[in-house]
Order: sequence, then C-alpha cells, then structure tokens
Amino acid sequence: MTQAVIESIAITKSYQMGSQNVQALAGVDVRIQAGEFIAVMGPSGSGKSTFMNMLGCLDSPSSGEIRIQGENVTHLAAAQLARIRNRYIGFVFQQFNLLPRTSALDNVMLPLLYRPDHSDAESFAIACLQQVGLAERMDHHPSQLSGGQQQRVAIARALVNQPAVLLADEPTGALDTETGLEIMQLFQQLHSEGKTIVLVTHEPEIAAFASRQLIFRDGRLQSDKAVQAASATEHLQQYRQQKMQEGLA
Amino acid sequence: MKWLLLFKVAWVALQVNLMRSILTMLGIIIGVAAVIIMLALGAGAQYEVDQQIKSLGGNVFIVFARGRATSGARGAAGSVQTLTEMDAEAIEQQIPQVTVAAPTMWASAQVIYGNLNWAPSIQGVDNRIFSAQNWQLNQGREFSAAELSSSGRVAIIGATVQRELFGASDPIGQSIRVDRVPVTVIGVLDAKGQNTQGNDQDDLIFMPLDTVRKRISGRTLASPRAVRSIIVQVADERDMALVEQELESLLRQRLRTTGTDDPFRIRNLSEMVETRARTMQIFNGLLAAVASVSLLVGGIGIMNIMLVSVTERTREIGLRMAVGAEPADIMKQFLIEAMLMCSLGGMLGLSIALLVTKGLEKFAGFTAIIQPEVVLLSIGFSALIGIFFGYYPARKASRLQPIDALRHE
Ligand SMILES: Nc1ncnc2c1ncn2[C@@H]1O[C@H](COP(=O)(O)OP(=O)(O)OP(=O)(O)O)[C@@H](O)[C@H]1O
Ligand SMILES: [Mg+2]
Repeated sequence: MTQAVIESIAITKSYQMGSQNVQALAGVDVRIQAGEFIAVMGPSGSGKSTFMNMLGCLDSPSSGEIRIQGENVTHLAAAQLARIRNRYIGFVFQQFNLLPRTSALDNVMLPLLYRPDHSDAESFAIACLQQVGLAERMDHHPSQLSGGQQQRVAIARALVNQPAVLLADEPTGALDTETGLEIMQLFQQLHSEGKTIVLVTHEPEIAAFASRQLIFRDGRLQSDKAVQAASATEHLQQYRQQKMQEGLA
Repeated sequence: MKWLLLFKVAWVALQVNLMRSILTMLGIIIGVAAVIIMLALGAGAQYEVDQQIKSLGGNVFIVFARGRATSGARGAAGSVQTLTEMDAEAIEQQIPQVTVAAPTMWASAQVIYGNLNWAPSIQGVDNRIFSAQNWQLNQGREFSAAELSSSGRVAIIGATVQRELFGASDPIGQSIRVDRVPVTVIGVLDAKGQNTQGNDQDDLIFMPLDTVRKRISGRTLASPRAVRSIIVQVADERDMALVEQELESLLRQRLRTTGTDDPFRIRNLSEMVETRARTMQIFNGLLAAVASVSLLVGGIGIMNIMLVSVTERTREIGLRMAVGAEPADIMKQFLIEAMLMCSLGGMLGLSIALLVTKGLEKFAGFTAIIQPEVVLLSIGFSALIGIFFGYYPARKASRLQPIDALRHE
C-alpha cells in the first residue's frame, strides 16, 4: 500500500458546552492518497468542518492521530503545526478570507511571507494567479473583485506553497450556481494536474465532480465510496445553454 | 517573515485607522516633544552659562567697596573703609594665585558727539581691565602711562557707543564730551554682546581711573586713590575658594576691620550666572514631569489601541496562522506595529519640539540646542515604549488558537 498523504486514525473531538458534552467527531479513520479528489458530505452538524480542521492541523483531536505523509503531527507545538500548515496544507474557505485593502497578488503571496527561505515569492504568486485565470487582476483589492474572482484568488493563495493537499470547506457555498460550477471546473482542472483535493459540500451536484465521496453522520463516517466523477466543464456548458434558452424563451 | 514586509504590513494597518493612530500617538507626541524641548533648553542654558563664564571669566571675583555709609557711624576709629588702588596692587602682589587685579571706578554721564547724545556706563580703569575681563581692542590703542598718571582726557569706547554715536564713521581721534568734559576717543572695543541677564555689555566707555575720579564722578571720595571695585582674576579656577579666603583676610587686615564689620563684598561672577541656570532647572523639572506623565499615558493608550486592534483583526490573525504564521510571527507583527506607531509619534514630537524651540529662541530669547544624540535617543526611546506597551497585546494575539481566531465574528 502506498503511503497516504494524510490519514486520520480513530480521531474524536468533543466540546464541553456547560454541562453538555458535544461529540463532534466519534472515531473517524480516513486515508487520503496522493492525487485523490474527495467530496465530504453529510447533514449540518455532522462534523465535516471539524474533520477538515483536524486534517489541516488547525485544531487538534481529543483522541486519535493525524498523520501527514506518515508523520504523526497530533502533539506538535503551535509553531511546528504552523510550519506543517505552511508546507503541506492549502486552505480554501467558504468566506474566502482574503485580507482587505491588500492586492490579489499580496494576498496570494501571504503564505510565502512565512517562509523566509523562499526566494521567488512574487513570480510564484503570479504563476498561481495565472493558473486560476486572474493574472490580469493581480493589483485589484478584494473589494474590487466578484465573489467568484475572490474565491479564485483564495485558491491561488492555497496553491502558492505547493501543498500536499488542498482542503476546501464549502468553497461554493457563498457563490451562485454558475460561479460555483466554474470554481468546480477549476478544482477538476487542478485535480487533473495531479493535486490532491478534499472538499466539503452540501450539494450532491457539487460532490458529483469528485471521484470519492465520504458521508458523515453524527460525527462518524457513514459511507466512503469511489464514484465516477462527472465533468464540471460539461455541466457548465449545459447550464449556460439552459440559461440562454430560458432567457430567449 | 521578512522585516521589510513586516514594516509594510504594519504601515498599512496604521493607515487603515489613520485618525485613530494619530490620536493614540498624541501622548507619545507630547511626551517626546516635552523631553526634547527640555533637553534643548537645558543644553542651551548650559551653553549660555559656559559662554558667559568664558567671556567674564569663571575665574573672576569682583570686590565691591561698600562706601562710607557704614563706616561713618564709627568715624571715631578713623579708619578709611574704602578700597583703593593700593589694595588692588596688594592683592596682585600678595596672593600668588591672582594673575591680575584691576581697580575700577564707575559713573554715569551723558555723552555728546555733535548733536547726538547717549548715556553709557562710564568706567574708570587702567590697562589691567583688558586682561581681567578679556576685552580686546577692535581699533586704536590702550591707555598710555602718561594718560593714566595725569588724568588724560581720553576714552576707549564700547561697540554700542560707537554704533550709536558714530555709525559707520571712524571714531578714532574724534572728540566727544563726557559730562561736558571734552575727551578724545583712542580706541574701540570688540563687541561682547548681551550677557545672560540680557544686558548689553558693550554699552560702556573706559577712561583712565583718575579722569573719572577727578573730572566726572563729582563725588567727594574718602581717598584720592579710592576705587569702587576691584576685578580679581585667578590663574586656575580650582583655586577660587582659596583665593576668596585670602582676599577676605588680606582686605580685612588692610582695612583694619573686625569680623562683624563689612566694608567690602566679594562676588563670584560664575555664581551670578549660575543662579539663572538654576531657574532654568526648575522649568526643566516641570517639563520632565509633563514628559513622563505624558509618555506613560501615551504608552497605556498604545496598549489599549493595540488590544482593540488585536480583537478587530482576530480573523486576520486566524488566517495568517492558517497559512503558516507561527506565534512568533504574529507577535513580531504586532510589536512592530506598536513600535512603528510610537516612533512615528516620536518623530512628530520631534518636529513639534523643533518648532517650539525655534519659537522660544525667536520670541522669548532662550537659547535651545537640540543635540543629534537626543534626537536618536528620543526616537529610540519611543520605539522602546512601543515594545514595552505593545508586548502584552502582541502576546495575546500570538497565543490565539488558529481555529478560534478564524471563527471569530
Ligand atoms: N467550537 C465549538 N464549540 C462547541 N461545539 C462545537 C464547536 N465547533 C463545532 N461544534 C459542534 O460540533 C458539531 C460538528 O460541527 P461541524 O462544524 O463540524 O459541523 P458541519 O458538519 O461542518 O456542519 P455544517 O454543514 O453546518 O457546516 C456540531 O454539533 C457543532 O455544534
Ligand atoms: Mg461546516
């Protein structure tokens, strides 16, 4: 068996809310191999975000282990975890989380700021903006960009440190259908270029573009199955045609 | 994280809340301005004192005669309790540390040249006055022996008198009338300017002692060789205390006075000058109090605003942590922001101090000297205040949990 990029071993997470104990995760084992495109599904409150935060070393489990390329990172100090996030993880958030009053280019360069050994941050960041089709907007501030464009900048930022895995928590949640499809098209393109992607979504249509689906329920993994991925490009074309017809009708 | 970028980030953060940043800096601005003004005035006062002591000589005593009023009541003893030229000679000869003892008379009189008149101080001197008070001749010559011994009608005039009576024309050889006595100008003194009390030192005329005594003063004197003061110059400033004692005992012996009697008074010039420096110090103490309170309040203001800033930017901190900022990076970022705010405050304070000291120099006649090391020190010190008061907020920011910070509303 090849080594997993990230794996979770029996991780649990519980929160103490007053007298109540909330079990957000109740023992989850997932192995993620290089080059996979995984959709994480499940009802609200089932623990998807909690799971993603564990994978991305933003939060630590109550018990169990997270391994990144075979190394147990569960009990590392804050500074070491920061270094791991910086080198292995690329986050994409539902609310984009770009720095306001900061150009797209500077936003994309942000992760490289924390990498003093990195020599060519700017040209790297420009290349990533090209990859998401926004090179000509690199001097724009977030407030001058549409939601879809902001999310592209955020994706470029997640790519700039060449992470082992892209973690996206509902990246299309704040976007309209068409823009969401465009973003999924971008994720599929990145996947075809060899990126490993884990993506949380509520919508089955979005999950359909992944090649493996994890379904959570009450903090547990309910199902984990490989599926035939649909093509986002085709869907986008169909959607646009349909919209045109409706518009014409 | 690279330092230059850290500064850029901090600069952007300050600009976002420009008004708030400036208001926050106010305490630092006032504090630094007060510190610099204080030090500038202190240095200026010291400079003035030094200059004054240099021009008067920090090594100079003036012995004043107290005249006949005190001795008149005791006339029976028959002692003549005024200073004379002989006393000056005795001082010069019997106290080895004394380089020169110059006897002086003085009077005030109208001086007339053509249709101009002027009322400078008239001083009867001999040539010893030049070395005793560091006077230099700008033009002309000193008194000749004949002029001194025969109450010659000659005068050496100060720069102010020259300006007022002669303007641009050459005064040497011209005849002026001092208290109706015609007198020939034989020399002009180099200008000394104002002293620390703001008096014009150049508004005087030197004439031979006898000339003033006999022709000008118009008073009956206790002795034909009486003088009103003796200027005593000591070779080495460190001997001042010793010479003062010796002057005292020598003059008591010569004037045959008892311990309680007081026919003369010995004044030390540098003491007189330093009285004013002391006034300055009180003013400076006041400024120092303002400065330290202001810096303290300013520092607390910085801390407060940095805490607000950390709270406002919790999500930004979370994001930075998510993409790889270590706690130390976050700490640095906020420390630099606080430091930058304080140094900017320091620089603004410096500019204000420059304006205020210029104003004080121009309109209030103070001397203010801003030394370069004071500038560096005050800006460095304000940066330190930034680090000190910024530390707690910065540490608070650096200790946030990334996930909590990201979720912060
Ligand atoms: N910081 C927290 N404190 C207390 N409870 C928490 C905290 N974070 C999450 N939970 C709880 O853990 C459970 C899982 O939350 P999580 O955010 O992982 O759900 P989710 O699957 O992402 O839901 P959604 O689809 O609505 O985003 C929920 O019951 C939630 O209330
Ligand atoms: Mg969620």
